[in-house]
Amino acid sequence: MKLRKIVTIVEEIRTEGDREVNPPARVAVVAAVIENPWAGQGFVKDLTPGIDATASDLGALLAPLVLDALEEPAEAYGKAAIVGLDGEIEHGSGLIHTLKFGDHFRKAANATTLLPAVEKRGPAGIIFDIPLKHITDATIRSHHQTVEARIADAPHAGEIVIALAAASQGRPQQRLAPLSSEK
Amino acid sequence: MQQSLRGEGIGLRKVVVYRETVITEGGQQPARRTLQASVAAVLRNPWVGTPPTHELSDEVTRIAPALALLLTDRLQSALGGVDAVEAFGKAAIVGCGGEIEHGAALIHTPYFGNVMREYLDGTSILCFADARAEAGDPLVIPLWHKTHAATRSHYQTVSTRVSDAPRPDELVIVAAGSSGPRPHPRIGDRTTDPAVTIKSLESVLS
Repeated sequence: MKLRKIVTIVEEIRTEGDREVNPPARVAVVAAVIENPWAGQGFVKDLTPGIDATASDLGALLAPLVLDALEEPAEAYGKAAIVGLDGEIEHGSGLIHTLKFGDHFRKAANATTLLPAVEKRGPAGIIFDIPLKHITDATIRSHHQTVEARIADAPHAGEIVIALAAASQGRPQQRLAPLSSEK
Repeated sequence: MQQSLRGEGIGLRKVVVYRETVITEGGQQPARRTLQASVAAVLRNPWVGTPPTHELSDEVTRIAPALALLLTDRLQSALGGVDAVEAFGKAAIVGCGGEIEHGAALIHTPYFGNVMREYLDGTSILCFADARAEAGDPLVIPLWHKTHAATRSHYQTVSTRVSDAPRPDELVIVAAGSSGPRPHPRIGDRTTDPAVTIKSLESVLS
């Protein structure tokens, strides 16, 4: 894995709807900017060797960093792969849609659910939204939320941005009826 | 001071910390691994709806010091402590319902700048950026060395952005810094420059 940059973003929300959020809601994102493992190789049919060489290392790098940045236990989480313009979205999907990547985060956060994800392709400075859901029950509606991220100079055309996101709680001022109430 | 560090009573909605570390640049590791960070506070613009004749100093003396303390403390924490901070800068983004003067009021007086400088053991004047913008517009913040502003290796910028701020009646106030120089600084310094004048450049300019 050729790593260029690590970016951390932490949002702390003190008020929402003009009402205090107490304790403040925290959401953290940690992103790694890496060289696309398949850059310059044309269409690679079998992505497995590149995934095996990269995905687990990425998960092991990012999982502790995002939990450190959150400074609180994670209640919701998500992931992202943003592919530079010369790559395929399949390249980013390959790196994050494998248990080799996600299990590091699940284990570190005592989580059980699948990580919701965004995969897209774009230029450096692209804004991406990372979806988050509850770490043990993806039907818990209060924890459905998103966080935005942007890195001014990434991804370059031959790079991929891989990110993890974690939230300390559900949406600020969450007050929707639970899914079970509509059944 | 504890109250100031929590940012109470200044109309604070949100604090966003952005930090990045360059591992490689141009394919090579920098001699020093440097952190850059910005800390952005989103707060209500206390002057929205007031005319340009309105005196700003009451709110400046009340809000700016608390804001400076909150932002600067978060900044040093993000960069690894006061001693780790080598370069600094500041910024204001004014929501479209306010005047640029409102952002200037909160960052360009001693009530902000002196607090930030003293907290970070700096002596340089703080370089800055300001803008009036819609929510989500990025702003590039210049940084320079906190005690030797002319140190060329430390001229650098960091980008900041808050997805949903400033609203028209809000301000985003930012403290930014770095724990070192650009990744591969190699453009000399004032001490190594030859004396360059238009006359000395005749051969290049002709």
